[in-house]
Amino acid sequence: MKNKIWFILFFTGQSLYLFSQSVATSPYSVYGLGSLYESDFGSIPSIGSSGIALPSTSFINNKNPASLAYIGKNSFFFDIGMKGMQTSYSSQTSNEKRNNFQFSHIAIGFPINSKSGVSASLKPYSSATYLISNYEIPISNSNESYYLDAASYGGVNSFDLSYGYKVQKKITLGLTTSFYFGTINDNKDFTIANSITNINKKSFYNGVRFTLGNQIKIDSTFNIGLTLKTPTKLSASKTQSVSTVNQTGTQNVETAVDSDVTDYYLPLEFGVGFSKAFKKNISLTFDYEKSLWNGTNQTHIYGEFKNQDKFALGLSYFKKEHSIYFSDRIHYFTGINYDTGFLSINNKNVNNLAFSLGVGIPVDNTKSLLNITYSYGQKGSIGNDLIKENYHKIGINLSLEGIWFVKRKYD
Amino acid sequence: MKYILFLLLFITLFTSCQTDNLDGDYVAGSDYLNINNKVILIDTLTVNVSTINFDSLVTSNQSRILIGNYTDPILGKVKSESYFKLTPTSYNLGSTSSDTETINYVFDSIAVILRYDRYYYGDTTKIQTINVHQLTQKVKPNVEDENFYNNSSLTYGSKSIGTKSFYPKPIGKDSVNIQIDPVFENNLFEKLKNYEITNADEFDDYFKGIVIKPSTDNSSNVIGYTTNSVLRLYYKQTNTDSDSKNSLIKDFTIADLTKQFNNISLDRTGTIIQNLPDSRNKLASELTNNSSFIQSGTGLACRIDFPYLNQLKYIAEKGIIVDAELVIKPIKNSATTLFPIKDSLQVYECDNLNRISKILTNSDGSQMLGLLNNTPDEFNENIGYKINIGSFLYQEIRKTSGSRSSLILTFPNITKGVNRIVLGDQKNLENKLKLKIYYISY
Repeated sequence: MKNKIWFILFFTGQSLYLFSQSVATSPYSVYGLGSLYESDFGSIPSIGSSGIALPSTSFINNKNPASLAYIGKNSFFFDIGMKGMQTSYSSQTSNEKRNNFQFSHIAIGFPINSKSGVSASLKPYSSATYLISNYEIPISNSNESYYLDAASYGGVNSFDLSYGYKVQKKITLGLTTSFYFGTINDNKDFTIANSITNINKKSFYNGVRFTLGNQIKIDSTFNIGLTLKTPTKLSASKTQSVSTVNQTGTQNVETAVDSDVTDYYLPLEFGVGFSKAFKKNISLTFDYEKSLWNGTNQTHIYGEFKNQDKFALGLSYFKKEHSIYFSDRIHYFTGINYDTGFLSINNKNVNNLAFSLGVGIPVDNTKSLLNITYSYGQKGSIGNDLIKENYHKIGINLSLEGIWFVKRKYD
Repeated sequence: MKYILFLLLFITLFTSCQTDNLDGDYVAGSDYLNINNKVILIDTLTVNVSTINFDSLVTSNQSRILIGNYTDPILGKVKSESYFKLTPTSYNLGSTSSDTETINYVFDSIAVILRYDRYYYGDTTKIQTINVHQLTQKVKPNVEDENFYNNSSLTYGSKSIGTKSFYPKPIGKDSVNIQIDPVFENNLFEKLKNYEITNADEFDDYFKGIVIKPSTDNSSNVIGYTTNSVLRLYYKQTNTDSDSKNSLIKDFTIADLTKQFNNISLDRTGTIIQNLPDSRNKLASELTNNSSFIQSGTGLACRIDFPYLNQLKYIAEKGIIVDAELVIKPIKNSATTLFPIKDSLQVYECDNLNRISKILTNSDGSQMLGLLNNTPDEFNENIGYKINIGSFLYQEIRKTSGSRSSLILTFPNITKGVNRIVLGDQKNLENKLKLKIYYISY
């Protein structure tokens, strides 16, 4: 027992360390908070990130806090995930390839009583990591040019506390309180003639947001889920340091001087989801979500914020839940996800289409699964100065159901 | 236990996976970069160029005897004469002051031996005549000063005690020998022989030093000699048994380098810079054919001002000069094989009265030199001195108090030679000065 606790502590420490180095490298990360980051728990990534209507019976469903009311009374869930991504970026003129691996999330969930459950999780909300090197930019009104190396890292994380409560036998409600916090470090080196000027900006963000959730069991095979995310402001503060070095000297122009930065607004978002089971071992899920970015009234130099629509469809199958044959208990998943994107560049949306396949490998006789997801997706499109990203993504989520230290019962 | 195995697997995966090394060219998405920083190249800022005249360059203790004269076709008549004190190592002829052989020594001859230090300027194929005079004043600086200057002089006897006309061979030969009037110098020999001079004071009273002056008859070159040059006394021992009557020498050397200096002058009567004002003022390049002049030794230097630098403050609320390159070009045809230019310029910062406040340096603290780019191209447009003044202009524009500084350009070793150069200003048609300032807003 003691060993396990130490182990979890150690492991959590490791994860937090890795958390800080998540890397997206997407060119679209140069905007605002960076690329928004889908980190879903359990098998949700395998079913196209759908699951607003799914209950938290075998893993923590992060899509809807109302699902937490269904955590079995002796269950204790632990969920951790990572992602590996290979992306190729193509524009009209060039092609580049990048790999990266990143920590995705860590979460625990447990019941409080037979009517309610809670969860706590830590996950990235956005990643502002990008890198641009040796970018040649002409100096206007001259035949000379300068070079820019730009790198940004960091992003905004969210620490979520969720609570789900069974109002009636078939109706649950839930609330998530998300605490957003993060630092984005933006570093630019301008190589101009024989000088290098470094401009370093650190932006700090924080804010709180609430998500309301509801799930309704229409019958034993059909569920409906609803979510509503409140709009919120992420307050920002920024400091800037400027230094320049040339052949004849080094000048520290300014060091950590406070400078203006615009706050970032998260939109009002709502989602609706359906799940339908067939023959007890096949289930179909469908989600639709809308994010009202227009309402945030944010502007950007190169792009515009647009209302975003997300569609997610998933299918899961297993032969038998309880079988003496291991292979019978393996879960199979597939899904598709389409997202119109919230950014429009030159009147073209940076949309995203992804297809996913996954397996859930049972770990022991509990509901624990090792979920392995492969997905292939396309983001953006070529032309109109846009960049198309083609990516292969491998996600591994370990969803453990423990009955170890939640032996006590709450009434 | 199974959990632990899985967790171990996870940890291994996490720690073994490394994100790409992000070095190298990577420009996808750069079009979207939010670059609020404006980078600007300014090449239209007005630069004022003028000629100034340092009235007192320290020429003592420079380890060079500079003698000669030539007429510069542009700047006038350049003349350098050298003053120095000569001392023997001992005040006796024999090996000791009580040497019994001394009585047998007889005077032979005496000569000044000037050893070339390979420096020359002007036409060395022309004959040069130089005269030696004995000083009538001790080689001693003015009170409260340790130095002699290019305009310092001492009194000397009107009668030349030695003269020589020769074709200088500063590269081919080692030295020039000037025979000194034996009548005069025999006296010195006799006084030493007869122990009439036995110490430094007695020697100084009798022999204060010499000045070597070029004759105005010939005017074609200036030659440098080392301070190892000597006055050499030749004498013999008469009473030896052998036929080889022992030839002996006694050298009088420049033992103290601070007691040697060169008087370098420029007679600019009738030239374009005839009206050069005093050392605290300047002669604008517009008045001298859009050109400015540097001449080592005589003190001519080029001054550069940036009168409208403050205008750059209005480009952006916050901005800095990150780099700046000044290219200043020698006037075509002014540099010839007779009057070659040097491959670098020394850059000083000065105030409005031409008082030097510092030498411009590189970031490692070494002296910053304007280097001559003489890679020839079709139009010889690239020939010029490149001077990095990024940090200087950065400091200037950020000055919140005090007056503007200017730059002064000279050749390195300004006190040791007579090299000159003619430089074009911004309005010079063929050899235009160029200034490029790189600016970034932040």
